[in-house]
Amino acid sequence: MAAQITALTDKFTQALERLESAKPFAKSMYQTDVFQTSIELAGSKEGLQAIYEKAPLFDKAGVFNGGPWEDASKLQAPFVGGSFQVKGVNSIIELLSEMRMLSIAKGDYEHEKVSASEAKDFLNEVLALNLDLLFPPETEASRINTGEHIERAERLFQFLGEELSFNAIAAKIVSEIDRLTVQRPIMTSRIEKMINMANHMTQSNIEEESKQALLKYAKALAAVSPLSEKYNSLREYRLALKEASESEWAKEAEAFASSMNETGLVSPYHAIFIRFLNRANPDLIPAALELSETGTASFNANTSFIHDFIQLGIHPETRQSIYGLSRMLNRGVLTQDPIIPGIRRLFELDIHPKVKKALLKPEYEQGGITANGVLLAGIASVLGQPLGVGQGLNPTCQSARAISLWAQHGIGQLLDLLARAARDNDIDITFEGEVIHSSQIEGGVADEIHYELDSVSVVLVPHLDKVYNEMMKRTFLRGEDGHKWVNPEFYGEWIPRGFKNLIDPLTGAVVNYEAFVRLFYATHHPDYNEGYELIYPNPVGIYITNVHGKLLGLHAVSIQRIDKDPEGEYRIYFYNPNNDSGQNWGKGVEPSVRGNGELEGESSLPFAEFVSRMYAFHYNPYEQGDTYMVEDSIVEEVRKMAQESWGQDYTWLS
Amino acid sequence: MVKSYYFKDRAGKKMGINESLNEKLTALLGWSLQAIEAIDKLNRPFVVVGPPEFQAFADSNDINFVAWQFERLNEKSDELYQKLADLNTKLAVPIYEETVEWAGVLNARFQNDPRIFNRSLLLRDKGLMKRKAQMAGIKVGVFEEAYDKEDVYRFLKRVNEALIKLDGDVNDPIHVKPLNKAGTVGHRMIQDPKDIELMSADEFPCLMESHLDGQEFSCEAFIHNGKVRFLNITEYVQLGHSNFIPASPSLEEWRPKIREQIEKLVDSFEIKYGVIHPEYFISPDGSINFGEVAARVPGGHIFELIERAYGFSAFQAQILCSDPDTPEDVLEDFFPEEVTSAKGYAGSLMVYPRVHIIDRLNVPEELKEDPYFERHDMFIPVTSKVAERVGFGNHYGTIFFFGDDSGRMRELLKEYEDYDFYL
Repeated sequence: MAAQITALTDKFTQALERLESAKPFAKSMYQTDVFQTSIELAGSKEGLQAIYEKAPLFDKAGVFNGGPWEDASKLQAPFVGGSFQVKGVNSIIELLSEMRMLSIAKGDYEHEKVSASEAKDFLNEVLALNLDLLFPPETEASRINTGEHIERAERLFQFLGEELSFNAIAAKIVSEIDRLTVQRPIMTSRIEKMINMANHMTQSNIEEESKQALLKYAKALAAVSPLSEKYNSLREYRLALKEASESEWAKEAEAFASSMNETGLVSPYHAIFIRFLNRANPDLIPAALELSETGTASFNANTSFIHDFIQLGIHPETRQSIYGLSRMLNRGVLTQDPIIPGIRRLFELDIHPKVKKALLKPEYEQGGITANGVLLAGIASVLGQPLGVGQGLNPTCQSARAISLWAQHGIGQLLDLLARAARDNDIDITFEGEVIHSSQIEGGVADEIHYELDSVSVVLVPHLDKVYNEMMKRTFLRGEDGHKWVNPEFYGEWIPRGFKNLIDPLTGAVVNYEAFVRLFYATHHPDYNEGYELIYPNPVGIYITNVHGKLLGLHAVSIQRIDKDPEGEYRIYFYNPNNDSGQNWGKGVEPSVRGNGELEGESSLPFAEFVSRMYAFHYNPYEQGDTYMVEDSIVEEVRKMAQESWGQDYTWLS
Repeated sequence: MVKSYYFKDRAGKKMGINESLNEKLTALLGWSLQAIEAIDKLNRPFVVVGPPEFQAFADSNDINFVAWQFERLNEKSDELYQKLADLNTKLAVPIYEETVEWAGVLNARFQNDPRIFNRSLLLRDKGLMKRKAQMAGIKVGVFEEAYDKEDVYRFLKRVNEALIKLDGDVNDPIHVKPLNKAGTVGHRMIQDPKDIELMSADEFPCLMESHLDGQEFSCEAFIHNGKVRFLNITEYVQLGHSNFIPASPSLEEWRPKIREQIEKLVDSFEIKYGVIHPEYFISPDGSINFGEVAARVPGGHIFELIERAYGFSAFQAQILCSDPDTPEDVLEDFFPEEVTSAKGYAGSLMVYPRVHIIDRLNVPEELKEDPYFERHDMFIPVTSKVAERVGFGNHYGTIFFFGDDSGRMRELLKEYEDYDFYL
């Protein structure tokens, strides 16, 4: 074994030397041998060590020359996992790239742009994001499906895990879970997966603080109450509840409610408990949901409705909706006249077979839940967490934004569309006097919809996406951005008719940027807009940029409110349907999701920073201040940020 | 169009520099990093003529580049000469089959000798090539050009009649190949009349040949001023799959006779400068039959194997021999002694997937541990679907061997010929 490693190491070293002596244009001819010998070495731990020892030479030799790994300072941790999943040559280059990072982190290699602590952070993030490689599942099924490339990646992660402290990784995982849960998304499967994976770490020697945090999250998904800890199966727990005393029930209620409110995550035992109370002692439900005064009043005024609702919609499989239910009640929306009949209609609605099929995921079918129950659970989540609506893996930010907006301000309309789509597999929206039927349109923005979505979105997004796309098509030849006409009719009358886009549709260049910035300040910034408050969310178009400020594409978000943060600085608070609002947009622009006065599900940026990434917004021309009052220095500051980021990809005419 | 103007400007600047050095450029026709690296190491000023998609790479690596599409022949073809002449180019070296006549026409004008072009055409039309060889008294098989399927039926029938086959006897096969494609591209073997039906109309006209039995090999002869400066014999283990250099002693025994044949070929084809890559068969009775000849970098990694075995760059050898101005002593120093100076036998096995979808690689440990095994370049390709194969073209990967016994080399290449490296 040792002799073999020595022989392979010699081959690897020679390949590196040949690569190093080649001129830049010829590097690609010599990289192959380095990659091949690396594959051989990466077959064992000793081999990985041998690769590591040469890692400081990689850049100089040109191992990454001409590929996306060339500049270590431009690498992004979230992309690493993907490279390891493919079988081809990329997975071995990725491995070498991690080795380079490790040698920077350990101080064996001094990189001109990446510091040791940056490299450490990078690797900790890589490990935190790929826990399935760090702690491979041990089932037979997952073994069979892996290949040599996955085993190699697992070996590398083992190596990295031993070289880096588990401590730092654990802290990183905790902060990642914190960051995601604080946004209170409806879909929690990704968070749950991370928590379950990270549970492995609680057995190793990590800092107490991280350990406690990980245990807290793991508990939130499982036995979080005194009784459920004792009886470790849903059935036994249910039997125990029957025998328990009223004071034990009260303790259960408190334990569940406080864990749910702290983490936004719901335990399946919580669902058993709520269903039990619904029959045995409904009076304790407000405590089990930790309802506010408004929430309790709302509960007491509609006891029989809520009884039926829980009976149909709340099950261990739909447990996350308990959080939605509590928030929905706390919002007090049930007092609006059309809401209760609108929801009650869904109790017994005849659901279209195709919609039924989309709604009934296997776990729901196994749990014996009806499609109507799934839909109800979904409506509780959406009405309780309007900013928790996400687009999932679909390019349907417009549709997600619409559902979120209606859940806030157009519940009646949302329930109507939902019933229509669920029953008829069709919706119709009028655009400029003509009715558009979704069932008569082929193709939307998305080629196909990925159904890892909340159940309201599962029903509505395929229709909304097609209608939206059709509306945009009808405005193609107007020589202006179609959103101007489409948004007010697609979203509804909440959207003001004034509209500004900074791109000239004929040349595709940025025109009159200064006017764009001034107008936004004069219509939205409280210091310049005569004090008009934003009443409804404003759908705006932004340029999404990556961590280096490079343009990735166009995206739709909604401004929720504009307010001073705890420091007294004006910030824009917005809803981002991609459910990962904490992404770093580069060049110092990093939306925050907590700590700056954000409400659940909001992210925020200082006013000027947000404006610098925006390309289109709606405004009310009757509620506008004077554009000339906006200081030149502000306009210049915004322009600079814009030109240094997405603006690099555009021509600027003025 | 905009691009080529840009080019002129850029090129114009470069020209100034070269003029001041008073050195003329060598143009490489066709994009090959190996050739570029070789000429760069010779410290010769050069320009690469290649497809436009390499422009950006060339620019970012400061490689003097002229974008050109060789397959497009029209009245603008003269532009290439103009561009190269403006750059002060004196010599064109063809890298790929398709660039051989371009090199011919360019060198004809650089050297003011129109015949160079006509000679290059001999090498680009397999029908013409065979006829020329036959006229020069070189032994060739029976051949004919075919213009449609009828011609092929008739040829197959007549060849087998000549072999006195009776009805019901198994036919001797014939071979058909395009007149102007490299090596084995588009090559078909036809034994049964129904094989002819598989041919499509765009394969015509083509060349038909009778089948020749015997040991097949190729030669790489580096010619300067009409003289063979270095003759390499490459032994084929399996055509299109595996070969090694130098040839085994039993084939090298024939070297004097082979050399005679090469010299005959060089004289009759009036080849003065560059490399030629002819293919021959030695029949069991010891007669050497000529297959075909090309005047470009051979396939099958042969240049790499020459470098591995003899230690000199065959790309550099080609460039030096292509240049009439290369001094005698430079050539003498450059080439080592044939056969005896080889450090060992260098072989290559080209691997083609035999599955439709590639799932994984399967390189056996015992191969990797064999002392003759040097390296391989197989990865699982990005698209796992395997492309349809044309002729012997497009192998997916290569395994390189090196060792000092030609028998063992042949054995290894045979052993792994049918191995499934891709699963």
